[in-house]
Amino acid sequence: MWALRGLRDGILTTRWPARPDQYAAATRGPATVLAGPASDQVSGAELAGLCPVGAISADQSERPRVDQGRCILCGRCVQLRPDVFGWSAGPDRAALTRNGLVVPAEESPESVAAIAEALRTRTRALRRSVHLRHVDAGSDGSEEWEIMALLNPVYDIHRLGMFFTASPRHADILMVTGAGANGMADSLRETYEAMPSPKVVIAVGSDAVGGGIISPSYATSSGVGAIVPVDVWLPGSPPSPFAILAALLLALDRLPAATGPTPVRSGGAAGGLR
Amino acid sequence: MTAAADYELTASVDDLRDRVTAQIDAGGRLADLFGTAHDAGLVITAQLAGPDGMTTLDALLPAGQRSYPSLTPLVGSAFWYEREIHDLFGVVPAGHPRLEPLMLPTNGPDLPMPGRDGGPARIDPDPRVLPSHVVGPGLFTIPHGPVRSGVTESIEYLVETPGEDIPHLNMRLFYKHRGVEKRFEGMEPADGVLLAERAEGVATVAHAIAFCQAVELIAGTAVPWPAALIRTLHAELERLACHLDVIVRLADGAGLSVATARFGWHKERVLRLAGQLSGSRFGRGVVVPGGVTAAPQLEPSEILAAARELERQLSADVRLLMGTASFLDRLRRTGPLLPARAVAHGAVGPIGRASGGVDDARQSRPYAAYGSLGTTVSSRDDGDALARLEVRIDEIASSFHLIRQAADELDEVASGPLQAECTIADGRATSWAEAPQGEVLYDVRIAGGVITRCRSRSASFHNLVLMHEVFAGDILTDFPFIEASFGLSVAGAAG
Amino acid sequence: MTGLGSVLVVGLILMVLAACVDLLAGTRSPAWRRVPYLLGAVGSVCLVVAGAGAVAGRRVTIRSGAVLDGVAVGGRHLFSATSGLAADRLSGLFLIIAFSAAAAVSLGFASWASGPAGAAGTGRRGLGASYALALGSVALILTAADAFTLLFAWELLTLAFWLLAGFDRNSASRRVSALITLAFGRISGASLLAGLLLLVTRSGSLTLAGLAHVPAGPLRATACVLLMAGFAVKVGLVPFQVWLPRGYAAAPGPARAIMAGVSVNVGFYGLWRTLAILGPPPAAVIDILLLLASATALLGIAHAAVQGSLQRVIAYSSVENTGLILAGFGVALVGAATSSRALMAVGLLAATLQVIAHTAAKSLLFAASSSIQPPGGSDDLDSLRGSVRRTPWASTGLAVGSLTLAGLPPTVGFVSEWFLLEALMQQFRVPGLADRLVLAVTGAAVALTAGFAGVTFVRLIGLVVLGRPADEQPAAAVDTRPTGRVGIVLLAIACLALAAVTPLEIRLIGAGLAPVLPTPAVTAALKSPWVVQPVFAGFSILSPSWLWVVMPALFVVVAILAWLASGSRLLRVRRVPAWRSATAGVSGHDSYTAFGFANPTRRVLAAILHTRAEVTRFDTVNDEDGADAVPSAAHVEYSSDVIEVTEQYLYRPFRRPFALLVWLAQRLQSGRLDAYLAYMLIALLAVLAVVTGLH
Repeated sequence: MWALRGLRDGILTTRWPARPDQYAAATRGPATVLAGPASDQVSGAELAGLCPVGAISADQSERPRVDQGRCILCGRCVQLRPDVFGWSAGPDRAALTRNGLVVPAEESPESVAAIAEALRTRTRALRRSVHLRHVDAGSDGSEEWEIMALLNPVYDIHRLGMFFTASPRHADILMVTGAGANGMADSLRETYEAMPSPKVVIAVGSDAVGGGIISPSYATSSGVGAIVPVDVWLPGSPPSPFAILAALLLALDRLPAATGPTPVRSGGAAGGLR
Repeated sequence: MTAAADYELTASVDDLRDRVTAQIDAGGRLADLFGTAHDAGLVITAQLAGPDGMTTLDALLPAGQRSYPSLTPLVGSAFWYEREIHDLFGVVPAGHPRLEPLMLPTNGPDLPMPGRDGGPARIDPDPRVLPSHVVGPGLFTIPHGPVRSGVTESIEYLVETPGEDIPHLNMRLFYKHRGVEKRFEGMEPADGVLLAERAEGVATVAHAIAFCQAVELIAGTAVPWPAALIRTLHAELERLACHLDVIVRLADGAGLSVATARFGWHKERVLRLAGQLSGSRFGRGVVVPGGVTAAPQLEPSEILAAARELERQLSADVRLLMGTASFLDRLRRTGPLLPARAVAHGAVGPIGRASGGVDDARQSRPYAAYGSLGTTVSSRDDGDALARLEVRIDEIASSFHLIRQAADELDEVASGPLQAECTIADGRATSWAEAPQGEVLYDVRIAGGVITRCRSRSASFHNLVLMHEVFAGDILTDFPFIEASFGLSVAGAAG
Repeated sequence: MTGLGSVLVVGLILMVLAACVDLLAGTRSPAWRRVPYLLGAVGSVCLVVAGAGAVAGRRVTIRSGAVLDGVAVGGRHLFSATSGLAADRLSGLFLIIAFSAAAAVSLGFASWASGPAGAAGTGRRGLGASYALALGSVALILTAADAFTLLFAWELLTLAFWLLAGFDRNSASRRVSALITLAFGRISGASLLAGLLLLVTRSGSLTLAGLAHVPAGPLRATACVLLMAGFAVKVGLVPFQVWLPRGYAAAPGPARAIMAGVSVNVGFYGLWRTLAILGPPPAAVIDILLLLASATALLGIAHAAVQGSLQRVIAYSSVENTGLILAGFGVALVGAATSSRALMAVGLLAATLQVIAHTAAKSLLFAASSSIQPPGGSDDLDSLRGSVRRTPWASTGLAVGSLTLAGLPPTVGFVSEWFLLEALMQQFRVPGLADRLVLAVTGAAVALTAGFAGVTFVRLIGLVVLGRPADEQPAAAVDTRPTGRVGIVLLAIACLALAAVTPLEIRLIGAGLAPVLPTPAVTAALKSPWVVQPVFAGFSILSPSWLWVVMPALFVVVAILAWLASGSRLLRVRRVPAWRSATAGVSGHDSYTAFGFANPTRRVLAAILHTRAEVTRFDTVNDEDGADAVPSAAHVEYSSDVIEVTEQYLYRPFRRPFALLVWLAQRLQSGRLDAYLAYMLIALLAVLAVVTGLH
């Protein structure tokens, strides 16, 4: 009975990244600075009051900049100053360095390329068949849902040659969620040590990247970067499954030629519902 | 929802014990027990749920007293609450049957002490403080966690087993303790909502509603009717997602791959629908003090159409699932929670309702739009994993019904402001909401425009202790079913 | 006597010498304590030589001389010219099997006796003497040519067993075990006596060869059954197996190896000899024997899998192996009854191979376990965990012996179990339906046993040898000293290398089984020089020798491939702690204990074991009004019990009547002289009456 039921609704799986996906393109990412003249007219004091986690600040030339790694997608800046700030859209939100998450971009392309090259060499053997291990270092529970969603027929991570494994001894990529709870620091380190090289660590979610709104707290470390060396930083609260897929493909250098983050004005309609 | 000016410091702890036991004898249940650091000492607050709503009782433990007579021998459900008070404040409940660290094993002098201004910058848990309790003869312990197989939250289960069955189980929660309650202090209520949403990420909307209701109660704001409908709509979508997640985990444990895939697809559709309404798949950024931020980005007719299609396919799959004998066999008589125990503990949520309870905050203590929309409460008596699943399936059906009603009402109601003006005032209030896991309680105190103490008690914390008691002759392979049928979130339990 | 006969005599004399040395100088310095066992080892080697000569066809006899020639009763000579000691091929085969193991065990015994374990708690002489007595009586039984010698040696062996089992007088339970051993030994002796007497009255001479001439009939059948029953008690067939675990576990140190590995072969020898002399018993008896053998195998392995004490595990595994060997023997009986020589050959071949495997492995296991168990310490499995670090030599021996008894390639146990299963699979060639059904049931039981044997020995290897040591360090165990190591190495090599030379083994067995069935029937199992088949052609084949070549070769090939593929980084290792799901740790047992590992077996086999489990909860909060107990604060205890079903349901109900009988018999021993004189008068009158009546 179940076998026939499974055939009833046809193929539900997305073809991304081989083909574009409408929902993927409309995935909402952290806030970003819109290009335009209005960006010049924000004072420093106003900037500080816009963000509850302090992700917005001014750079050397007094222009606003957003640290997307801290952004928890609360939308306050977009709501208060829609002329300056907007949502970023599209699934490829991850960066290979922590500073790479700051927009407008501040890192030189050469340094990023060097790091990308080093990562590519490290993961050369893993590209088409990779095992993932997830560790929860104090998340709020939603990132685990989004990671588990990779196994449902819509995203179907198995078609990309990626599998979840129970033992870190068999794992190649470590996905860490959560703000780095002190109770999990030792366990996280132990899991990292138990993985054989070559290994890649992805910090999934704004909690893991920058601590989220739960930090600073007596019980967390403001992100997992202080506990294990992180290779890929993925912001989002929580990051959508497409963003997680994009981060995995970035780690394996299988991401199709990346387009820059497309700012979308707030209030735009999202993709259609199936 | 109750509002008061500040803490009642007149009663002593003994008075509190007497009044709590009296209310419980009269048919109430203990819903919460927490402490607040105060200049005069430690304020211990008990929340009791009874037929006439929620009663808040305060008592003062004078400064300098490090111990008080424990409530647990009289009221068994205070077991974990007193351990939490001990962990966070360092006071010893004398007579507690097993006073071991629950959330924060530390021997150091620095303690968080929520309610006190300032606090330690960092507290590292010390595993040496954990008890080295020796298992009885013939048993050994399998430590399962915190990094378990599969994508799960971090919690450690110490399974004491003779090799096949599980006579006893211990849990260690401290791994995921994030210090949420302490973080609330010093925040403005507008920021506090953001934190409340992330206290238990899978029950975002319920936590946000409970928190905002408390703030609105202090400010005396009334939420506009359309905003109440939108809150209800998102809360029911969240309930659908959580219950579907439980079904996915159960089907996965039973090895029904097609069922797992299909229910995973349904859950994805619910999350996408929530995302299309508000921009966030979990409904974050929707509920704010005073109302909601924006109207749904879909027309009510579109919402109705989507919900109808989803319900049609979901019911068909549920019917087939509940006819799969191999699946039901794994759940029948697995992890039974005796009705007497559920009542004695005051179990909330589907766990309590599957063991004969009838308490549902949407019906007993209505909030948002539930008072006007019809809420049905489903209940079972068996208390096993199958009963919990059946209760959740009934709640899925009633959620669709509520979504339809809310969307219909939204269609008819004239457009107006969605967020009332909420001037932050000083005061203290208690409020609640029915999360998919059960009743969520918030006790918020605002002074000088910022939060000075916010108690966020999730249903997971209240119910998780019942895991000790449901392994009656079950074996190791039943463990995933029992855990999935509980459907609790460790983030909410570990605080 | 012949030349090899003198070698035989030398061997026997060395045993006697060993006994004397022990009795006279047993408690002197450690060096003196070793001498009896070294003498025994040399004597065993002599006996092996004699046995080899016998298998090769040489005559190995010791005549009793003219002294007994003249003994006659009623005109018939009881002792003929060929009485005395004689080793024919069958005896030679068993001499080789038993005494090569005995030589290796004696070396282990020597080093054990001179260590603190040997002296601890005893300080008494007599162990060496009992050991020598046991070995000497085994030699006598194996080479007995007439009934009297056989019975005499049998009783000597029973006595030796009682002395060995009861050597440690301090423990009351050991005394009881020794008594039970003695009792069952006497029962077997009584059964043998009855059977042999029945035959002797008919055949008119005491020689074993002469017994074959008894005409077929109820007398011969009864005698056959009695003889087989007597030998079956010795090897521990259900329902007589209750003394085996007790007796073996009660003996000190490597004496267990002597009892369980060396001496038990006399029982099998007796069964083989009965088949040679008298042929198969009635068909019903054969079926009953097969069913009892399968029950024995199952019962033995079921209990072995759940015992908590190392010696008991090994002892119950002896029971299991008895069942396996007798299953093969049953196939041979079926073949003999249906005149199918090939079937008989495959059954006997399988049984004898299993005898060899069992001898080697059991001796190795008991010899090793005597060093693993600390002197004066408990042999509880949970306290012996991780013994490979404390006693590496003995633990390796334990591991090899366990692999052999679990029937894993490339050990000799694998070959013998393969042959056994193949023999049982030939059941379709048997004409009768009853036989076929019984053989099928036995085959299923043997397969089930093999499975549970895997579980049992994995527990030994994985937890006892390789496990993590328990937190509380056991009393320091002393590893085997160099002499003992030689013994363990020899036995381990036997377990492994005999598999590689299986064809030679089969030729040896074929030569040894000549008195039972012609050699070519057995050597038909050799399909080609290095490939064996279960006697019937075209059924299946096995090549353990090639296995010994191929398996290491595969390992080497894979290692080379891995080294090439890894680019010479194969041996760079980073060590991290074992993955325990990143727990903060618990105190006490935090992984599977030996008790816990056996728990699923206890539950699955609850029908055979009559498992009773009990969970006791101690709630630390007493609720006054009965409403608010806190079960989550409870402490829990778990206990689980198994019952030996034959003991419980077969023997215990007879305790009362038996005790009554004993009490009545005791009344006879009044100690009064006139009563005894009266008894003698009554006996004399009865004999006179019978003799007169017979004429």
